[in-house]
Amino acid sequence: MSEAKIDTPATAERPALPQRDYAMFDAELSGAVLNMGLLRRVLGWMRPYRITFGISALLVLLWSSLHVMLPVIISVVVIDHLLRGETSSKAPDFGLVDLTERLADALAVDPLVAACLLYAAVQLLWAIVGHAHRQTLISSVINGLRDLRLDLFRHLETRPSSFYDRVAVGRVMTRVTNDVEALYELLRGIGTLIGEFVPFFVALFIMLSMDVPLTGYLLLAMPLMACVTFFFRRATRELFRKVRMSLSSLNQYLQENLAGLAVVQLSVREARNEEEYAAINRENRHWETRSARLETLYGAFNDSLASIAIGGIVWYCAPAVVSETLSLGEMILFTRFIDMLFHPIVALGEQTNILFRAMASGERIFQALDWDERIHEPAEPIDLPARLEGRIDIRGLSFRYDVDVPVLRDLSLEIAAGERLAIVGPTGSGKSTLIRLLGRFYDFPDGRIFLDGIDLNRIRSSDLRRRVGVVLQDFHIFSGSIYDNIALGDERITRERAEAAARTVNAHAFIQALPRGYDTELSERGQNLSQGQRQLLAFARVLAADPAILVLDEATASIDTETELLIQDALEKLTAGRTSIIIAHRLQTIQEADRILVLTDGKIAQLGTHAELLATDGVYRQLHELQFQATNESP
Amino acid sequence: MFAKLWRLKAFANAHRWLLYFGIFCFLLARLFEAAVPYFMMIGIDRINAGDADVMMPVLGILGAVVARFVIVSTARYSVRLAGLRIAFDLRQQFFATLQTQGSTFFNRYGIGDMMTRAVADIGLIQRLFSMGTILAVILIFASLVGFGAMLSLSPELTLLVLPPMPFVFGYAWYMSRELGVTSHAVQERMSQMSAQVQENLAGIRTVQAMVQEDNEIARFGGTNQCYANAFYDQARINSLIAAVSPTLVAICVITILGYGGSMVQRGDLTIGALVAFLTYVNMVVQPFRVAGFIVNLFQRAAVASARLFEVLDRGPEIVDAPRADAPSRIAGHIVLTNLRASYADGHGDHGPDVLRGIDLNIAAGETLAIMGRVGAGKTTLLRQLVRLSNPPRGAVTIDGTDALDYPLAQLRAQIALVPQEAFLFAATLRDNITYDDPERALDAIWQAADAADLRSTIESFPAALDTEVGERGVTLSGGQRQRTALARGLIRHAPVLLLDDCFSAVDTATEEHILRELRALRTGRTTILVSHRVSTARHADRIAIIEDGQIKELGSHETLLAAGGTYAELERVQREGEAGGDEAIPA
Repeated sequence: MSEAKIDTPATAERPALPQRDYAMFDAELSGAVLNMGLLRRVLGWMRPYRITFGISALLVLLWSSLHVMLPVIISVVVIDHLLRGETSSKAPDFGLVDLTERLADALAVDPLVAACLLYAAVQLLWAIVGHAHRQTLISSVINGLRDLRLDLFRHLETRPSSFYDRVAVGRVMTRVTNDVEALYELLRGIGTLIGEFVPFFVALFIMLSMDVPLTGYLLLAMPLMACVTFFFRRATRELFRKVRMSLSSLNQYLQENLAGLAVVQLSVREARNEEEYAAINRENRHWETRSARLETLYGAFNDSLASIAIGGIVWYCAPAVVSETLSLGEMILFTRFIDMLFHPIVALGEQTNILFRAMASGERIFQALDWDERIHEPAEPIDLPARLEGRIDIRGLSFRYDVDVPVLRDLSLEIAAGERLAIVGPTGSGKSTLIRLLGRFYDFPDGRIFLDGIDLNRIRSSDLRRRVGVVLQDFHIFSGSIYDNIALGDERITRERAEAAARTVNAHAFIQALPRGYDTELSERGQNLSQGQRQLLAFARVLAADPAILVLDEATASIDTETELLIQDALEKLTAGRTSIIIAHRLQTIQEADRILVLTDGKIAQLGTHAELLATDGVYRQLHELQFQATNESP
Repeated sequence: MFAKLWRLKAFANAHRWLLYFGIFCFLLARLFEAAVPYFMMIGIDRINAGDADVMMPVLGILGAVVARFVIVSTARYSVRLAGLRIAFDLRQQFFATLQTQGSTFFNRYGIGDMMTRAVADIGLIQRLFSMGTILAVILIFASLVGFGAMLSLSPELTLLVLPPMPFVFGYAWYMSRELGVTSHAVQERMSQMSAQVQENLAGIRTVQAMVQEDNEIARFGGTNQCYANAFYDQARINSLIAAVSPTLVAICVITILGYGGSMVQRGDLTIGALVAFLTYVNMVVQPFRVAGFIVNLFQRAAVASARLFEVLDRGPEIVDAPRADAPSRIAGHIVLTNLRASYADGHGDHGPDVLRGIDLNIAAGETLAIMGRVGAGKTTLLRQLVRLSNPPRGAVTIDGTDALDYPLAQLRAQIALVPQEAFLFAATLRDNITYDDPERALDAIWQAADAADLRSTIESFPAALDTEVGERGVTLSGGQRQRTALARGLIRHAPVLLLDDCFSAVDTATEEHILRELRALRTGRTTILVSHRVSTARHADRIAIIEDGQIKELGSHETLLAAGGTYAELERVQREGEAGGDEAIPA
């Protein structure tokens, strides 16, 4: 909270509005293939779990060594040493031959049995160490990314309205869900690669110590494999994209057709639509078939290469073994290592796509995290008194969302405590902006608003919002019970208080009629309530919170006459004895206001009571007459 | 399970040769695969005997590899192709069946549910054929071939190797079920999280206005932790499988090393055979390790199949059974006799009647307005006329013929209903207006657009008629959407036009203009319009007030005003109280 570098409060509370490129947020980011900085940043979230992470890294080394020991026991210990009595083995046996002999002596069993016991022991250790490695790795990754996701959500949750005005909610949402998911995939992929490459190097080391030229020849196969993998990935990337696109248009078509099925049937379009669907279906099958062809060839190729290498090893080693420059066990060991040599390349190919996707996801996540747009909070906030009178004083208020388009121009207005003010004016006149500024949803550098004489910019936005009840047109219903939706987590609002509020705003009757009354669970967006009911519920919510000032954007949706009357009645009770600022759409609301503010082009066109304004020749009278003509005009 | 899968037989039958061919190739491929360790054995034994001539076994290996490559890729391709074709057929049939369903069906099954079936369930069936076949074939052939090869080398060692097999299989099966449970939990948690984030962000302004950020962050933290836990569980199962399965197989390896090794020492087995055994035992065991996965796939596919046939088995909701003598052109004389209707709740149970005995005689060419409260049955009545739900026999006659006796296509073509919800397709304005017949002439489009007061709107777009309206018409305002939907109805010049509260988002002046156009356009043709506004209804020949599913008042504007009932009251309230009905002051 200390912003020492700011010298005077006057400039500190008047931030300039920086202009931002919102298009960037929605743009497809096509960043670098391998962005090390990005990876480092992701790993930053793993820091609290670095000990677990470090243990995991040690375990993978141990695991890889054990992994390589198993074929060594088979080839060097059993085949060479015990079955052929070879002594010339150049392969490092990790002292396993010795160990077998000692074990046989100690237990007084056949060396073969001792070798079997050794194999069993190594195998068990391999299983335990491997499991421990994977568990430690995944747990540090899961915890780190869980923290990252929560940080991301916290960050997004506190971005101001100006941000959400410009970016699509869907795009923001996928960052929290899909993009973090892609990072999971990335880290898991890296884990897989470590599990492939560490044994690769250990095996390579052993192979080099046995026969350098043969190892060299086998390594020659790797570029071939890398090439094939590369071309396969390149060819399929495009194909897969086409498969995905055709599949998603297939689903979109079905979805839309079902959503508009009544229109389809009323237009007798069934046959035509079936044909259209078939066309997309065929396209999807076409791309699926082509990628199936490539995938089956590639898969079979991968399987075969190892077998060909085995043939090559036998061919190359036969003379060497016969002339005893190489042992038979070593030849067999070569064939057993083939998979360890080739498989990392295949795995790398599999992981590249994930890597690409994850890099883009990471960029999107950090772009969101770095998005520092926020409401300016005062350095030295003033605490609001326990009781507010509700006097509002607006002085020289100007506001613009974009650089060039002023929405409010030098607006000055005093609203008395307890006054009921209705705002009318055409779309774009600045009505909504005005009430948004009252709730401090935006920073306003030009002009001041005072609440009971306190500059709004000196009040913490959260403090202010607790005292100014804002009811927006889009009544958001949270999932949870009706009671939860009224109380919104405020313990002071007991069930009795919630019920009393609902009763006052005429919502009690319909709530009682619901299957479980106040405990009825509402689904997202309150789909099980009608428009009118949702408005009444929003009223109950704001009344229960009992704000000093009510700011309301009246709904325009079409509601039947009866509910309409209930809402009007509720509104009257809601505004009684409370400073109320209402963007009014209904004549009755307007007529019952103490004063009416007519806004045009961000300026006050007229201000006065209904009777006064009607008596004046002005915008208000024109608007009013237009409305009456519509119903009274005769054909 | 098999009964459910067996139902797919009809779909599989169409592509059975592809499947048979693929399976045959798999068998062949396995034989070549088994040949590789066999030649390798020969090579090792020759070398072990001091013979460096390994030309024959090496060529054998190469030949077997090449043959296997060709055959196995063909086999895999064939079965994948079969899977794709079966999925294609299923999708097509699914789509066709859904198009014949109506409100009863969709009251029971949501669109989201149908999308899941179309995407996930058909996807599972496709995998059943393209992957399940491969795996099942591997399971049987690989085991058989590997087993046969081992038997030929040493029956004694083969029998000793077998005992751990059931454990490998049992463990794999058990763990795959565990894995299924945990994966499902991960998916559940993920969709829970998505829903929560989506809901939260959609209402971010309310969240912030009510200072609910901290509550919401804490709530998200809980969901996030649940997801992390589920994810960890899944990873743990995966890791266990990766650790335990090879260890179980190691029991077989140890048997081969120990007992097989002693046989080599006794001279009963060659070293080459011992090495071959190690390969063959993998050939036998590996399928066991995927067996759990196969069983799991088959089980899930069986559920998917049942879910698909639950839909595919449905006949059309509205059965088209026209009588040959139904008139081919409707004039528009509609008689309702004791019309009752109720909503089926999707299980075939009917709720209380929404319409409770409507009697109404609408002359050809008449304009009738219907008013009433939300839920009074206005929309239900209109839906009966176009048979979106079937009326009882005898309740609706059109030109003296029961509505049930007309061909459905004719009835819906000649009675145009413009529904309350202005649903637009993600296409151009032109395509939306000419939705019933894309070949309509340009001047017909403009004529309809004029009548719906849409011309200036269309001309204000740079692309005019070719403007894309976006998904559900998002790029248009509510009023523009409604007028587009209206133009789509008007362009048909149907003998009977039904308008279901189509002006709610249109301002009063525009509505007046459209109503004037309508009066000119509809002279001599039957028009029924539902409205909340007296200003809309007053120009009709007659006005019917529906309350609780019955006609409460019926007559002209003047008659009903004089009668001093509900209509007169509505007129008073709307005139005095609200100036423009529910219309906003400035547009």
